[in-house]
Amino acid sequence: MSEGLPEGIDRHAPRSAAEGRHGSEGLPEGIDRHAPRSAAEGRHSSGGRKLADREGTLAWLFLMPSVVYIIALVGVPFVLAVGFAVSDVTAGDPSFDFVGLANFRAIFDDPVFWRSLGNTFLFTGVSMIFIVIFGKILANILVADFKGKWIVRFLVLLPWTTPATLGAIAWLWLLDSIFSPIDWVLRKLGFIDGNMYWLGEPQLAMGSVIAVHVWRLTPLAAVIMMAGLVAIPRDMDEAARVDGAGFWRRMFEVTIPLTLPVIAVSALFGAIFTFTDMAVVDVLTNGGPNNATQVLTSWAFFRGIDGGDVGQGAAVALFLFPLLLAAAIAILRAVRKLEVR
Amino acid sequence: MADMTRRRVLQTAGALGVGAALAGCASEEDPPGGVPATGAPEETFTPPTRKLSGDLKILLWSHFVPSHDTWFDKFAADWGAKAGVKVAVDHVDQATIPTRIAAEISAGQGHDLVQFIATLSHLEQGVLDLKDVTDEAVKRWGTQLELCRKSSSNPKTGKFYAYSPGWVPDPGNFRTSLWREAGLPNGPTTWDELLAGGTEIKNKKNVQMGLGMSQEIDSNMVLRALMWSFGSSIQDANEKVVINSDQTVAAVEYMTKLFKQTMTNEVFSWNAASNNQGLVAGKLSYAVNSISAYRTAQGSSPDVADDIGFVPALRGPSGALAAQHVMYNWIVPKHAKNPDAAKEFLLHYTANYAAATYASKLYDFCAWDKLTPNLATWLGSDPFGSKPADKLKLLADATKWSTNIGHPGPSNGAEGEVFSTFIIPNMFARAARGEVTAKQAVLDAEAQITPIFAKWRSQGLVGG
Repeated sequence: MSEGLPEGIDRHAPRSAAEGRHGSEGLPEGIDRHAPRSAAEGRHSSGGRKLADREGTLAWLFLMPSVVYIIALVGVPFVLAVGFAVSDVTAGDPSFDFVGLANFRAIFDDPVFWRSLGNTFLFTGVSMIFIVIFGKILANILVADFKGKWIVRFLVLLPWTTPATLGAIAWLWLLDSIFSPIDWVLRKLGFIDGNMYWLGEPQLAMGSVIAVHVWRLTPLAAVIMMAGLVAIPRDMDEAARVDGAGFWRRMFEVTIPLTLPVIAVSALFGAIFTFTDMAVVDVLTNGGPNNATQVLTSWAFFRGIDGGDVGQGAAVALFLFPLLLAAAIAILRAVRKLEVR
Repeated sequence: MADMTRRRVLQTAGALGVGAALAGCASEEDPPGGVPATGAPEETFTPPTRKLSGDLKILLWSHFVPSHDTWFDKFAADWGAKAGVKVAVDHVDQATIPTRIAAEISAGQGHDLVQFIATLSHLEQGVLDLKDVTDEAVKRWGTQLELCRKSSSNPKTGKFYAYSPGWVPDPGNFRTSLWREAGLPNGPTTWDELLAGGTEIKNKKNVQMGLGMSQEIDSNMVLRALMWSFGSSIQDANEKVVINSDQTVAAVEYMTKLFKQTMTNEVFSWNAASNNQGLVAGKLSYAVNSISAYRTAQGSSPDVADDIGFVPALRGPSGALAAQHVMYNWIVPKHAKNPDAAKEFLLHYTANYAAATYASKLYDFCAWDKLTPNLATWLGSDPFGSKPADKLKLLADATKWSTNIGHPGPSNGAEGEVFSTFIIPNMFARAARGEVTAKQAVLDAEAQITPIFAKWRSQGLVGG
């Protein structure tokens, strides 16, 4: 295969360190395929080999983009938030003056803060339960074999791929106080006479916000759980069948115990995405009626940006951190216990 | 064959998608036929008092009447060409402007000139003092409208944190056919008439009225109007908190009664689009809104538009006052790279405010009467097709029954924070829903408002 090449040149000579490691089989005697073709190439090749062989360095190199990303977009804003929370920074005056815990004292005296905190827990807790239940059901459907599976998968994933704000705007129309198509259907079916005022009644408004969140996050949970389901060894399921276990028994005694770590991870994601979201509340209710759907994120925004008090807004937002940290640690420890067992 | 079918399906879907996208892009405010070229005021150009150069970056809202933006973009570019300045104009949704300004001030870079549709008093420390521009405008065109002046200056510091060349009135919008049958063909003139007529319409026709009690801008406006007409306010002229009064309790009690007799729970989910949607769809007997909903109806539902009438602020026990619907605040952030060009542009823009009023289809009103000498004529015979032609003539006197947020004091930062945290709509809503008594709702509101004022006062930005 060296036709046309000048004498002494082998077109199969390795061009990289990796290629070179595969040995010298088939080469004429006296020719070392690892030999560099020039001093410069030699230095490059030698350095490349060393770098390629140093797994620790490579690992850091590959991790670096993620680390930089997390430091820049999570670490720095977090440090800034801590700084703002103990300062008198406003939207109009970014200069920093230390005020100690004054912002925290102010928000603790504010009844809307406590209501937002309670709403955040309610909103997150109820959403998480439904996200896990519906995610599990959807995951079971997605792993089953049936005709048209791809279109079902596509439709199921659509809410997650749709931008949160666009989805929320569509729901705003669906839940409109006067023109709600949901009300229209309920009226046609004879369930109601007038309108439900989904976003005008405190309980219905909270229910609507939760429902939209569940609709948005269930596909994510389903995909995570689907990965857990397909990882279960088929023979375990078959052994249970042979032993006479029915669908529900296999579900609760085989499938769910084996996928519990994955379910916990999906619950963790669901909780974090719900806890930290303000798009749905902002679009649907603006925190109303009468702060019935106000959550920490939306209240931090109204206080800090619209109201101009960045210090208090940061203090409210910072309150998310210990709660999120505690939730994350609790769920991850649960996962670890399950893995050990 | 299967491929052909799939291709046809995709082509059809694509065509439908493009059609839907185009339909979606069409604004509900698009005027039928646009702004007529004839009748538009001629624009003037006064050479800047100093030599200008460089770039001028302007950020402003996407106007509710899109023909204004078409006019403004060309107007700004033409001025730039004559003045030797390269002008760039960015329009964004008004709701995103406060966030954008806060981010730009924090970053110390961004636009040279920013316009918003409400008072920006909370940004006082991050913007240039525009007293020189205001003084120059007063020198050229006389006394500035008080409500604009009180919405752009801080009497405590003496600083003009904004320049306010214009505003938009907020009249009552009513359905003439419904109110004629209720014995008030010209619409209600007092809050008592509103209650009586609205109740009759609700009982006989099952058509509700729409005065929002929700966490949004229109609710904030109309409920302040009610408070002022009952002799109540958040602060007094010296910026002391005075909301806890018998007058405020009376206003809350009135609203509770009005809600129970004339409205539905939709008012607790009110948003900035609800007035427009309800009026254009013919679902409301009365609402308080600018003329934008009416202009929309002229294009999309002419019969409804012809049936909409307007009334000035309703009279209560202590007078008749309405809040401005929009208050234009132009600010020059401290980071602006070309403040001289920004200030010159503002004066040029003000000098041509008649063109802005016309391009906005009589939506924008000027802070200097003499700059829109034809306004009364236009309102008396609407060049944009009102039926009857003099439907809008009551707006010629709008300055008499309109006032600023913060009345009888200035639009200070504390008032702005009370506004943006929706304390007033929630005060009314809690009583209307029966959660607390009117007295308790007022006490709770006071407990929230007092620390806000104390905080701003401690920063030296609020008097009292």
